[in-house]
Amino acid sequence: MEERIARFIAGLRASGVRVSIAESQDAWRAISHLGIQDREAFRLSLRSTLVKDASSIPVFDDLFTQYFGQAPPPLLDPQAELTPEQQQMLQNMVQQMLDQLGSNVQQLLDWLLNGQNPTQDELDALADQAGMNDMPSLSRWEAEQIARRMQRMLGWDWLQEVLDNLWEALAEQGMDPHTIEQLKEQVAQNQERLQEQIGEYAGQHMRDNRVENAQRQKPINDLMQRPFGSLNQTDMERLRQEVRRLAARLRSRAALRQKRGKQGKLDPKSTIRANLRYNGVPFDVRYRERRLKPKLVTILDVSTSMRPVAEFFLRLLYELQDQIQKTRSFAFIDHLEDVTPDLLTTQIDEAITVVLTKLPSGYYNTDLGYSLRQFETAYLDTVDSRTTVVVLGDGRNNYNDPGLEVLSTINRRARRLIWMNPEHPAQWGTGDSDMLSYAPNCSEVYQVCNLAQLEQAIDRILL
Amino acid sequence: MSDTVHQVQQALATQQYIATDVIATVLFLAEKLGKPLLAEGPAGVGKTELSKAWAAATNRELVRLQCYEGLDESKALYEWEYAKQMLYTQLLRDKLSDLLASTHSLTEAADQLAQEEDVFFSERFLLPRPLLRAISSDTPTVLLIDEIDRADAEFEAFLLEVLSDFQVSIPEIGTITAKQRPVVFLTSNNTRELSEALKRRCLYIYIDYPDTEEELRIVQLKVPDLAPKLAQQAVQTVQALRQLNLKKNPSISETLDWARALVTLNAQAIDSQVLENTLTVLLKYEADVERARRAMQRQQGDNGYGRTYR
Repeated sequence: MEERIARFIAGLRASGVRVSIAESQDAWRAISHLGIQDREAFRLSLRSTLVKDASSIPVFDDLFTQYFGQAPPPLLDPQAELTPEQQQMLQNMVQQMLDQLGSNVQQLLDWLLNGQNPTQDELDALADQAGMNDMPSLSRWEAEQIARRMQRMLGWDWLQEVLDNLWEALAEQGMDPHTIEQLKEQVAQNQERLQEQIGEYAGQHMRDNRVENAQRQKPINDLMQRPFGSLNQTDMERLRQEVRRLAARLRSRAALRQKRGKQGKLDPKSTIRANLRYNGVPFDVRYRERRLKPKLVTILDVSTSMRPVAEFFLRLLYELQDQIQKTRSFAFIDHLEDVTPDLLTTQIDEAITVVLTKLPSGYYNTDLGYSLRQFETAYLDTVDSRTTVVVLGDGRNNYNDPGLEVLSTINRRARRLIWMNPEHPAQWGTGDSDMLSYAPNCSEVYQVCNLAQLEQAIDRILL
Repeated sequence: MSDTVHQVQQALATQQYIATDVIATVLFLAEKLGKPLLAEGPAGVGKTELSKAWAAATNRELVRLQCYEGLDESKALYEWEYAKQMLYTQLLRDKLSDLLASTHSLTEAADQLAQEEDVFFSERFLLPRPLLRAISSDTPTVLLIDEIDRADAEFEAFLLEVLSDFQVSIPEIGTITAKQRPVVFLTSNNTRELSEALKRRCLYIYIDYPDTEEELRIVQLKVPDLAPKLAQQAVQTVQALRQLNLKKNPSISETLDWARALVTLNAQAIDSQVLENTLTVLLKYEADVERARRAMQRQQGDNGYGRTYR
């Protein structure tokens, strides 16, 4: 049992639930209080100690049934109630039938008629024959396939015929019908149990497989250093899960800054005013509190090449909502759209799909200059001296008018104008890139071609 | 369920709190392992109520710390009563002069004063806030840290220290260790992600809206005057409302308010007239009320625009 629980925890980790050592220790302690007899109590003691996130509960429940399903029952011994003569008769008949048929079903009959459970080695050998070890990883469906193939290797398809022959032969030999009926029933039960055992064996293998695969995955730090363009679907998925932890890191960094920002700055004006009623004796000392939470206006390029960057940018921003006073978000390709209301939903995944489908990618002419001018006419009042403006774009403008004067207007009005560009600085200004003319009009410019760089750049926004 | 868990359930039942097996089991474990219990879930499902009921059931004092943005140590842990200290120095000025009169040099006076300094930084001038109160209490307490998700991340980090060791250090006095470990409840409405470090130290329970049967039991327990048939109908209506994807789902407390309203209005059945009049007890947004009204009318075969298509 202990080993099974340890495996279960490993399985949880492999499925992306973060379980610390301290938490698994708690789980053991909880089990020592409630025991494992009561399945529901056992499940709850594991769940309340290991899972700390409502979204992980379905994963837990699914894995729990997989790992702690009913253990397949051992095989019955159908010969237990037979007299020695009858046993002898059965042995002889089986031997005869096997001689006729060849040894294909011998092992299977041994197990079923003697109530002998297959050993681990036997199962391993069988699985190897069935080709399980050739597969790098098993899905649940593949595991079922393997189990079925293992049965076939044992001669399962012949079994019914052989057994029918056996019962007939036994009846001819003069065994009484009642005993045969009993034998028949028990063997049928054994058949079911054996099937379950094999299924469980394959399932177990599948789960171990998953744990191993998870351990073999590339470390997340490597992924964070890789450019967005070179990531495949699975990598993206892993990075998406990582975003929340990144955000937590950024948040604690920002919180620390807030704390320092608050320390030790006496606010004389407020102190004097507060203490007038005490005759000017400073009972009530007031400190200056600096609001460090930025107001944000973001202008995002969501053309095809920019999509992954824009997605992760939005995800990080979403997680950091509580560190930002107010956000207005705009997306553009050839024209500008206000996407602020779309991002106000609770589900970030939904929100991102909505934003990205509002401006579907296709044969568009990216036109940053026009979008900026549109911004100037319609939304310039969103920018004031306390606003940080973030432009996320590659600065490639299809040789359109870059709209430099608008950008410098925005820069003058805003507290800071931060440009994030996924391209390497060496590429700026090549071809249709207007980046080199944009750059002098920004207060800060960052390259954000991978998640690590994006994290650092966003940390600067929160400053 | 084992007997012990059953006892928890019964103890809570004496406080008119109906605990599911899940809640009772996790609460039992929290008590046994001495770990804080973090309860998450939508607003108004009885997270706060649970700690109150448990405090009453176990005869412990409930110390409540309501979190909000900007909550800091001085509001949560302790504060020096600056005004009181100041007042005392003013009033004791003569006494101080007497004390220092016998000294001959400045150093001597300072030394003399230093000996008495402790007077002004003693527990006399310490204003204990909820956390310190729970820790320094002589009798066992239940500490409720309500809506932790509203506090800043900074405060969360500070809480970690308190929750893992149950001790606080006050620079001027020293470390105060809990005489009686309080049972700690944390609640969160899930408006933001809590830090993993905090979650790691707690047992976790997600309390969702109850199913029809449980809610009916709660309504019957708390509003016994409501006719059983009407209660059944009311609960079913609320459950149906929760499926509507509203801005704010009606909580259990709102179901109870509604049930009381039905009793007060002496309603015989939940028909469109009664609903029309009382829907605002359940739903707090105009858009929600509108949506619910339309859904109800659809159910009655009306498309909500005054015509039927049938």
